[in-house]
Amino acid sequence: MPEGTFCNRTPIQTEKALKRLLEDTGGKAYYQEMKALEVDRDLLWGTIQKTLKSRLRTWLGICAHCGMCADSCFLYRISKRDPRQVPAYKIQSTLGEIVRRKGNVDNAFMHMAMETAWAKCTCCNRCGLYCPHGIDMGVMFGYLRGLLYQQGFVPWELKIGAGMHRVYRAQMDVTDKDFVETFEWMVEEYEEDYPGLTVPVDKQEADILYTVNAREVKHYPEDLAEAAILFHLAGEDWTVPSSGWEQTSLAMFAGDWEACKLQVQSVYGAMERLKPKRMVGTECGHAHRATVVEGPYWAGRPDGRPPVRSIHYVEWLAEALRTGKLRIDPEKRIRVPVTIQDSCNYIRNHGLKEITREIISHIVAPGYFREMSPNREHNYCCGGGGGFNGIGLYRPQRNQALITKRDQLLATGAEMVIAPCHNCWDAIRDLVEEFHVPIKWSFLKPLLIKMVQVPEHLRPENS
Amino acid sequence: MFQQILFATSATPACDPAARVAFNLARRYGGRLALLHVLGVPTRGFSQEVVDIRTGQKVQADEDYLACVREEITQYYAKQMESAPGAAIDIRLGYPHREILRKARDERPDLIVMGGTTEDPSNSAYKKVMVSSTFHRVAKAAFCPVLAVGRSAASFWGGGFSNIVFATDFSKAANAAFDFCLEVAGSLDGELHLFHALDIGTPQTGVLIDQDAIEKRLREARQRIRGLYVPRMGEFKKYSIEVWEGIPYIEIVKFAREKQADLIIMAHQSQALDAENAKLGSNMEQVIVRASCPVLSVSRPPKAQ
Repeated sequence: MPEGTFCNRTPIQTEKALKRLLEDTGGKAYYQEMKALEVDRDLLWGTIQKTLKSRLRTWLGICAHCGMCADSCFLYRISKRDPRQVPAYKIQSTLGEIVRRKGNVDNAFMHMAMETAWAKCTCCNRCGLYCPHGIDMGVMFGYLRGLLYQQGFVPWELKIGAGMHRVYRAQMDVTDKDFVETFEWMVEEYEEDYPGLTVPVDKQEADILYTVNAREVKHYPEDLAEAAILFHLAGEDWTVPSSGWEQTSLAMFAGDWEACKLQVQSVYGAMERLKPKRMVGTECGHAHRATVVEGPYWAGRPDGRPPVRSIHYVEWLAEALRTGKLRIDPEKRIRVPVTIQDSCNYIRNHGLKEITREIISHIVAPGYFREMSPNREHNYCCGGGGGFNGIGLYRPQRNQALITKRDQLLATGAEMVIAPCHNCWDAIRDLVEEFHVPIKWSFLKPLLIKMVQVPEHLRPENS
Repeated sequence: MFQQILFATSATPACDPAARVAFNLARRYGGRLALLHVLGVPTRGFSQEVVDIRTGQKVQADEDYLACVREEITQYYAKQMESAPGAAIDIRLGYPHREILRKARDERPDLIVMGGTTEDPSNSAYKKVMVSSTFHRVAKAAFCPVLAVGRSAASFWGGGFSNIVFATDFSKAANAAFDFCLEVAGSLDGELHLFHALDIGTPQTGVLIDQDAIEKRLREARQRIRGLYVPRMGEFKKYSIEVWEGIPYIEIVKFAREKQADLIIMAHQSQALDAENAKLGSNMEQVIVRASCPVLSVSRPPKAQ
C-alpha cells in the first residue's frame, strides 16, 4: 500500500516535516505522488461506520433528487448550469457513492472526490436553505473532506495549513512569542497617538478575551493595533491570551478533525485559564464558525457551547455603538455608496444579519448604503470560502467562482464594500485584481478608527 | 552617527538615487549597510503564492526563488557593494512598510533610506501596496529618522559640503527632528537654515489674509524659531533663520533650491492611521516628490535601546 514521502496519510506533526513539505514548491511532487496513492479501503469504510451518524445517513437517503438545490448554488449558476454542479449530484456522486460502495473506491475516484469537495463546494451552506428537506450539502462536504484528508487526498496548501495548527496552534508559523511581541510592537507604534494604549496579556477575569487570525500577526498587524485602540477608546477591560489566541482553523477547511480539536482546545484552554466574562473574536467568518459554532462539538463539550460566551467582532462593535461606548462623529460617516458582504459563516450560519446592519446605521450617512441582491442569509459566498482562496491547484476554478460576487457588487453601484471576514476580504481583493473592478474593500476596524470620537481624556497632549 | 543604515530598496532604477545616498552615507560614516528587499505581497489567503513586487508575477516564493532574487540584487548593486564591506542583503515576504518596520525593530538602525517614488505606477502589485504609501507608513511609525530620496537629479548628501534646511511646523515631532538636525549639522560641519513656511492658503480656497496679518505672523514665526531652537544650539553658530509665506511645500522646495540644500529635514507629524488620506495633504510627500535633494523625516525621539 504505497504512500509518498510528501503525499501520505500521516498528518504533519513536526516543524521539520512541515518545512519539508513546504519545500516541495506548489506541491509538485506531492500531487505527483498522489497519483499513486492507494486508498486504504478498510480504513475508509471503518471510519464511515464509526462516524457517519444518523443525520448524514438520513440526508443521503432522503434526497429526492428534485433539483431545488441547483439554483441555490453559485457554482452551478456560473458553470452554465452544468448538472454536475448541482449540489445534490455533487454529494451523491462522491460521499453517497463511497457509502454505497462501502468504501470500495480507487485512486481516480478519490481525485474526483477531492476536486469536488474543494473546488466545487465552499461549504457556504446556501443549498441547505433551499432544500425542501433541509439537507445541507455544505455540512456533508465538510464530512467528506474529513474522509479524504484521512486518506491523504487533500490539497497541498491545506495539508500544510492543518500542519501549521498542529505545530504552532496557528494557521501560520507564528509562535506565541511572536504574537505577544507583535501586539506589544503595535501598541508601541500607536501609544503616542493614543496615550494610555496598552495590550494587557493574560489578565485574569477580564471582561473580554480577544482572539485573532494569525494572518493579522504575520502580515497586517495594524489590525491588532486597531482592535486595541477601539477597545481602549470604548473603555473596555480586555486582554489577550499568551497562548490560545488563534481563532481560525484551516484544519476545518482541510478536514483534519484531530487538528480541529487540538486548535479549538487551545482557545478554550485560554478561556478556562483566564476566566474572562466573554470572548470576542476578530473580523473572521470561519474563525467564528470554528471556535464558536462547531468547536464545542469537536472538543466534546456537552452543552455545545464554548467555555465562556463567545461573540463575533460585529456583535461587540454593534453593542459598543448601541451603548455609546464608541461614538461616531456624524461628519465622518461614510458618504460614498457602500455595501456590505454578508459572510456565510456568521450571517447565514449564525444569524447575525441585523447586527451588521445596525453597525451600518451608525457608520454610514443616510442614503449611502446599498444592499446586495440577494443579501443577508440569502447572500452568495464571496467565491473563496471553505479554503478555496488558498489552493493553487484550483486557482482557475476559484477565479471563475468570483464572478458571482463581482456581478453582485457591480449591481449595487457601490464604491466600497465592507467585508468583516478575512476570507471575503481576500476574495474581494482578488476579484478586484482579476476583473479590474473599481471598488474599495475594507474591514470594519480601519473605518471605525477614522470616524470614532476620541474622548477628551484619551487625546494626546498636543492635539 | 550612522553606524547602522537600513536601505529599503526595490532594486530597480526607481531606487538608484536612494542607493547612491545610502552607499555614500555608509562610506562616509563607516556604517554598516543593510539592504532590505521586500519581495512579494502575500496573496490568496493562506497560499504560499506571492506577487513579486518588481515583476508583478505571481510566484511560489520558495528557497530557489529567494536565492534567485538575492543573486539578482547582488548583481544589481555589485559595484557599490565593493565600497561597502559588510553590507548585507535581506529578502523578506510581506507588505513592504510592515517588513521594513519589522526589520527596523529587529536591528534598530540609526537611519532608514528609501526611494521616494516607484518607477511604474501602473504595476499592479506596487499599486496595491503603495496606494497607502510605504514611505508615509514607515516614516510615521519608525523610531529612527527616515531618509527619502525622490529624484534622480537629487544632490547626494554625503559628499564634502553640506547645507541643511530644517523646515519646522513647530510640532512636537519637529522638536525631535531639530535634535537630530543639530546632530547632523554638527557632524557634517554644515550650515543650518531654520525655516518655516507660513501657510496663507490661496484665494481659490477662499482664504485671503490681509498683508498686515501676514507680516505679523511672519514676525511671530521668526520669534518662535529664535525662542524654540536658537537656545538649544549652544556653540553652533552657522545658522540662518527664514520664514516665507505661501503654500508650505512649494516654499520649502524653493527655499531649499535657493540655499542649494543637500538635505531637508522635516517632522513627520501625521497622527492619522489612514495613510491614504494623510498622504493627500502631506507637505512632506510633496516636498519629497519635488525637492532636488533628499528629505529626512523624523517623527519622534529615538527609542531608548
